[in-house]
Amino acid sequence: MKDHNVVQGGLVDTMSILTAAEIRRQVERFLPKVLKPSRYLGSEWNAIQKDWATTEVRMAFAFPDVYEVGMSHLGTRILYHLVNSYPEFLCERVFTPWVDMEEEMRERHIPLYALESFQPLPGFDVVGFTLQYEMSFTNILNMLDLAGIPLHTEDRGVDDPWIIAGGPCAFNPEPLVGFIDFFLLGESEEQLPEVLHLIAEQKKNPLPRHDFLVRVAQVQGVYVPDFYHVTYKSDGRIEKIEAEAGVPAVVGKAIVKDFDQAFFPTNPVVPYLEIVHDRMMLEVMRGCSRGCRFCQAGMIYRPVRERSLATLLKQTEELVRSTGYDEIALTSLSSGDYTCIQPVIQKILENHGAEGVGISLPSLRVDSFDVGLAETVQNARKSGLTFAPEAGSQRLRDVINKGVTEENLLNAVEAAFKKGWSTIKLYFMVGLPTETQEDIDGIIDLAKKVVNLGTKLGRRNITVTISTSIFVPKAHTPFQWEPQEAKASVELKQRYLREKLRDRRFKYNYHDVKTSYLEAVFAKGDRRLAPLLEWAFQHGARFDGWSEQFREEVWIEAFTELGIDPHFYANRALDYDDILPWEHLESGVTKRFLVEEHHRALQEAKTIDCRYDVCTGCGICPDRGVQIELKG
Amino acid sequence: MRLRIAYTKVEDARYIAHLDLTRVFERAMRRAGINMTYTEGFNPRPKISFGFALAVGTEGEREYVDIDIQRDLDLGEVLARIQEQLPPGIRLLQGRVLTQGAKPLMAVLNAASYRIRVLMALPIVPERLQEGIENWLARGHVTLSRFTKKGPTEKDIRPWVKRLQGEIQGDEIVFELEVEMGNAGSVRPEEVLASLRELENLPLELDALHIKRTGVHVSYQGKNSSPFEQLAEL
Repeated sequence: MKDHNVVQGGLVDTMSILTAAEIRRQVERFLPKVLKPSRYLGSEWNAIQKDWATTEVRMAFAFPDVYEVGMSHLGTRILYHLVNSYPEFLCERVFTPWVDMEEEMRERHIPLYALESFQPLPGFDVVGFTLQYEMSFTNILNMLDLAGIPLHTEDRGVDDPWIIAGGPCAFNPEPLVGFIDFFLLGESEEQLPEVLHLIAEQKKNPLPRHDFLVRVAQVQGVYVPDFYHVTYKSDGRIEKIEAEAGVPAVVGKAIVKDFDQAFFPTNPVVPYLEIVHDRMMLEVMRGCSRGCRFCQAGMIYRPVRERSLATLLKQTEELVRSTGYDEIALTSLSSGDYTCIQPVIQKILENHGAEGVGISLPSLRVDSFDVGLAETVQNARKSGLTFAPEAGSQRLRDVINKGVTEENLLNAVEAAFKKGWSTIKLYFMVGLPTETQEDIDGIIDLAKKVVNLGTKLGRRNITVTISTSIFVPKAHTPFQWEPQEAKASVELKQRYLREKLRDRRFKYNYHDVKTSYLEAVFAKGDRRLAPLLEWAFQHGARFDGWSEQFREEVWIEAFTELGIDPHFYANRALDYDDILPWEHLESGVTKRFLVEEHHRALQEAKTIDCRYDVCTGCGICPDRGVQIELKG
Repeated sequence: MRLRIAYTKVEDARYIAHLDLTRVFERAMRRAGINMTYTEGFNPRPKISFGFALAVGTEGEREYVDIDIQRDLDLGEVLARIQEQLPPGIRLLQGRVLTQGAKPLMAVLNAASYRIRVLMALPIVPERLQEGIENWLARGHVTLSRFTKKGPTEKDIRPWVKRLQGEIQGDEIVFELEVEMGNAGSVRPEEVLASLRELENLPLELDALHIKRTGVHVSYQGKNSSPFEQLAEL
């Protein structure tokens, strides 16, 4: 292993780092010219300006997308305030500059800076990226590059910040190996402060890089990729993944001890410009055990834990006082399933309705849909009701374990039409395992039934929006062994749906095949994709999740140039005994359970939700000191 | 109770877009626990209205807003409570309670003055500057081509300019500009400076402008007054 004890020469000092004051002065000269300049200021209401001199560890929390997206993310809000709640730590925010800002910064050699202090990123002790979706990976490289931080861990020295990353994609972070020093798996409320305390210690009594990394690898959920060695078979599949001595052979995620009492910020930053989710957020529940077989979040955030009514009402009171927002979202993976949903809504409206505070709920499941509930909800009134049957036929809904029936949907829609709604949105996926033409026709049938129901009930100006995304097999799900359907046949299905839904009462939206394909490559990718990522970034790829920025030609060239076959990753069915690139990373749901669930999917057999019935044996509860917590 | 408030929009607050400013005040009011009056209808909005929009990045030394609140409260106390909840850069300067039937800001404001600091690309003598300004002002028409959503259009900017003075301070020129504003439009300070450079060959470094709106006025028969004074006369 390479000796990292010495400072690597050259790279660090080639870029003379501007001071915060110089950066601010220069940025202010062109700020009025860029789009939405208040993206680049850290002086919003409730932003935390901490003293650099008196804090031991300084962290930049980096969200690899634009401000409006990053600021809408609950995890970002939680961790920013969590770290700042420690007097010895400081945390500032940084987002990906939009392309116009990047151009101005590069032209003037202004390094990427954190919003609150305008301090350039290399001056921080830690830069922590959140990995929310694969299509943001090139933005991570771009942000490091804009900051003047060497991209490769091996080129960074003792004066460079530790580059760490967490979030759902940390459950398969292999394409980022080589750029990130270590990953944090699972819930960070307790794990991140523990890591930062180790970094504080490291600053006082520095250990050689290797020794420090061994130390930090002892923290629950910390994955140091340098210590795991991957070898490959001649056909390209993984031969084995071997852990060095002294670190866990398998890294298991961190889980907070007491979700109800876990840190939750009630003084979030209130942006000046309108962000994607511009409202207060209340996390009513974490985890979901509905068991949809395509859903990564439903597997990696287990077990289900609810917050108590008392905690939520106290948090709401504080949120309203500190933000002045007029809307509060009750967030979770499926808020309709929260056992205290009725009382919490009723109480919030009772306590804050007079101040003009309304409630919003993310899309509701049709089987727990309650039209009375929907009526009290603000966003539903404005934008219509959204339901996600996910698949067009009962057979395919059983394959994916979605649980809902056509009857559930039509009942929900009928209730909605009767109460005056005329806009209904339906979400489906195409390319699901075992999908046939009948299932695609099922989408059309369902859409028509919804429209006909509305017409029968005398609703005028009905609009049914049908949105289809493309199935992307994700790590740690029962469908992780499944291939993504070939681009050409997905496109045929999309074209077919577009033809069949050509009616003024329907509106058909569909995801771009090209980006979903690349997402599939990275979702199941291994560390051999790291050079590909770097090549694409060096040739202009960034904001790949933004269709107007996505440059397919760069990626095609990257695959050719590096001799990597994207089909190997996206379109290959894996064997159960294949070593998966994430074999050494554990969500707590066992591989045995995932295999079983995959079998059951192919048999079109449903699996129950353990909240309402017996244990399904997913493996999360035993031995972790956690259990399902329901408050209703 | 309807309030008219004069405030500053300086420092970082100058980057708050006009459309976002309503939300900034709305949230400050809610944090302050002062209930606003809302419009009727499907999507009730708080009754907050501003004068002419300030361009993003331009500081305002004295801007105005009208806000309707539900209960009659002590003016001083209301202002103090709102001030506590506003971001730095927005400082409340003065407030008045509006009488029944007072005209909204947009109906009374019709002029604005600006102070613009701009670097000289080359040093020039004061006489050269004065000559340039006088020549420019002496023009009957100053036609400017602009690109709008509808394509290129031409407009005469000269009629909007009421006053233009300049003074050299070190390596900068400081302009005092007063323009007419109205529903039919106005002229932007950058446009006047660009035209001065182009037509009178003044060496202005237009990339580094520092523009401040020093006031907005009710201009009547050649006399400027504030929207507060105008209230007193009613």
